Amino acid sequence: MSESLYEIPLDREHRRLGAQMVPFAGFSMPIRYTSILQEHRAVRERVGLFDLSHMAPFELSGHDVATWFERLSCNRVSTMGIGVARYHLLMNERGGVHDDVILYRLADRYILIANAANADKVDEHLRSHAHGVDVRIDALHRRRVLLALQGPSAAALLSDLTPHDLTTMKSYTAVDTEIDNVPVFLARTGYTGEDGFELLLAPEHAVSVFRRLLEHGAAWGLEMAGLGARDILRLEAGMPLYGHELDEEHTPFQSGLAWAVKADKGPFLGSQALHARREEAGERLVGLILRQRIPARHGYAVFAEDRRVGAIASATIAPSVGDRSIATAFVEAGYDERGRTLSIEIRGRMYEAEVVALPFYRRHS
Amino acid sequence: MSESSALLYSKDHEWVRFEGETAVIGITDYAQHALGDIVYVELPRVGQRFAQFASIGVVESVKSVSELYTPVVGEVIEVNTALESDAGVINRSPQEEGWIIKLRLEGDGGRDQLLDAEAYQRITSDT
Repeated sequence: MSESLYEIPLDREHRRLGAQMVPFAGFSMPIRYTSILQEHRAVRERVGLFDLSHMAPFELSGHDVATWFERLSCNRVSTMGIGVARYHLLMNERGGVHDDVILYRLADRYILIANAANADKVDEHLRSHAHGVDVRIDALHRRRVLLALQGPSAAALLSDLTPHDLTTMKSYTAVDTEIDNVPVFLARTGYTGEDGFELLLAPEHAVSVFRRLLEHGAAWGLEMAGLGARDILRLEAGMPLYGHELDEEHTPFQSGLAWAVKADKGPFLGSQALHARREEAGERLVGLILRQRIPARHGYAVFAEDRRVGAIASATIAPSVGDRSIATAFVEAGYDERGRTLSIEIRGRMYEAEVVALPFYRRHS
Repeated sequence: MSESSALLYSKDHEWVRFEGETAVIGITDYAQHALGDIVYVELPRVGQRFAQFASIGVVESVKSVSELYTPVVGEVIEVNTALESDAGVINRSPQEEGWIIKLRLEGDGGRDQLLDAEAYQRITSDT
């Protein structure tokens, strides 16, 4: 039985580098090259290079983009100057979330990057809300290469390869620049909790840029890193994964993202429902650190004594958190306070864990 | 890395080394490579008895949970407690320091159900 998966443009490069490829969101993607833990460590200590070409970029242009997007997101668009990148939640009518995305404002257009698993849903959602407004939506899914260069040495490595002055490029900003005369959209954003960059470029020149990064990166101890390492890095850094910490049902408040909701910005899709649900007890996302170094898994039940109070959202053994077993979980209000001991059921037995605040890991600047 | 010819193997990628009445069990190099970084091992208790190919424990890597099946019939006499603090030794030395369980065999343990090195090599090159 073979699945028909999309191949990303640099597929052959990854196989040549020894990547173990797995199906992910309809694509064949590298989950690791050497070992997940080795790649994780490279990103935390030096620099790692990820291929994220399965994700879904959109180019948004037209006079009404800002006001239109303002009504679809719970975060503010109007205060985004040119060159600014910002995290947004595309809301549904019930106060839940369609997707978490990053929106980048450039001089002549906006760029939105959505999750691979939500590409079709986001495309349909944006288009269905774009009637009668001057907005052009250009879906770039499967037409671009997206690379992420992440780690403390990422800026030093990249500054040799691009004319843009990275010493003055702030976090969460973006610019059109180039590498070896190849046009590259460059953003100082990432999903690892380290300093780093994301690069969007056309497939035609991607191989040469990719090989240049690898070759130049050798002196910086650069390693290829796959989705396995990426998931541990982002979880340690307290960053949500759609489908785990975020979904159509939970509000941003429940998912620990109240900071992304700008209540005073005027109505947006779902704002009424959000307001009504603000006082709703429901459940809340917490961090958990298990006493024993046994891994938990998504979906495992969480108990307070004999009462089931929630379920695991994400979990891993965390090298950057003292090599402890960590997890996020949605837990019933009243059982979610910091310092409380809860239990996680793993293969029929209970293992104690302490409720902690997120994130588990913060980089030392 | 070729598999030693003194061992026998199961289709589930466990190896067995027979030392008189004792069988030493672990997972093969092929298995540890497929699993990736092993972070946790659930071990049986000394004294527990198992039928051949029964589930005897769990090996967890970062991305997956794998059942461990005993290739032979027997009673657990020792488990590798070093794995509690360093499960990664299975990746580094799957057939030596990364041994997992020792069993006292019942009869011949069912060794005629197992694969020799050549037969095991064929499985791993087919998959």
